[in-house]
Amino acid sequence: MKVDVPKGGDPVLVMEREFDAPRELVWAALTDPAQVMRWYGGQGFENPVCEMDVRPGGRWRHVMRTPDGAEHPLEYVFLEVKPPERLVWRTAGPAEGQGGPHDNTMTVTLTAAGERTRWRLVVEFRSHADREAALGMGFTRVLGEGCDKLQGLVKRR
Amino acid sequence: MVELHAPGVMEADRLSATLNALADPTRRAILEQLARGDASPTELAAPFDMSLAAVSKHLKVLERAGLLSRGREAQWRPCHLEASALRDAATWLERYRRFWDRSLDALADHLERVPRRRPR
Repeated sequence: MKVDVPKGGDPVLVMEREFDAPRELVWAALTDPAQVMRWYGGQGFENPVCEMDVRPGGRWRHVMRTPDGAEHPLEYVFLEVKPPERLVWRTAGPAEGQGGPHDNTMTVTLTAAGERTRWRLVVEFRSHADREAALGMGFTRVLGEGCDKLQGLVKRR
Repeated sequence: MVELHAPGVMEADRLSATLNALADPTRRAILEQLARGDASPTELAAPFDMSLAAVSKHLKVLERAGLLSRGREAQWRPCHLEASALRDAATWLERYRRFWDRSLDALADHLERVPRRRPR
């Protein structure tokens, strides 16, 4: 897991990737429901429902089917839409405002690099307004360095 | 077991409590200190410019989140790190990361199949 702390000091989880496709195509794959249905969740996952109203305040209603056949309804609201470079969405529906793992804000930034596109996903595990995200540098240090140590502590008991 | 980024309801409640407890830098620092060994509230308060009462509030949050337990000794009541709650959070985050890894692999495959319209 790559964890980055930007200059503002907001601790977040960051996932970066480069795609061999121009930015406009990546943007379309991210915002066209017919395309999102084909990749969201990855191999073995199906997405029988994907409705996106891609504008600030618009909803993204989604049902994801896991390989065991269980269906999981997901609901998000778009906060920022700036084609073809920046898309921000947040958990909506029952999980909204609850804090914790379901209460995420996700920001995808696409940067053109010739015919390739750099993807950067930033996940904040709290409401958008609360800039103190759950994943602090200290937390990840505890998790990263500490897990073996913690295992040891537990075994010792 | 199915690797899903969405945990079950019970698990989600526990994770919410854990992640919320971890959202505070003072509480994270307390946990780091406890990872080195049990400590009394007074010892935990020492590195902070903070009253014992304020530290006790943080300890209560950590205790409610299942991240910390207190010893029975009447005077000392040492704080002990409960690593399992932390591991649960780490496990969930790892699943979450894998969810996106998998999705982005699929997105890369998808993009290879999308016909490209060359500019000009």
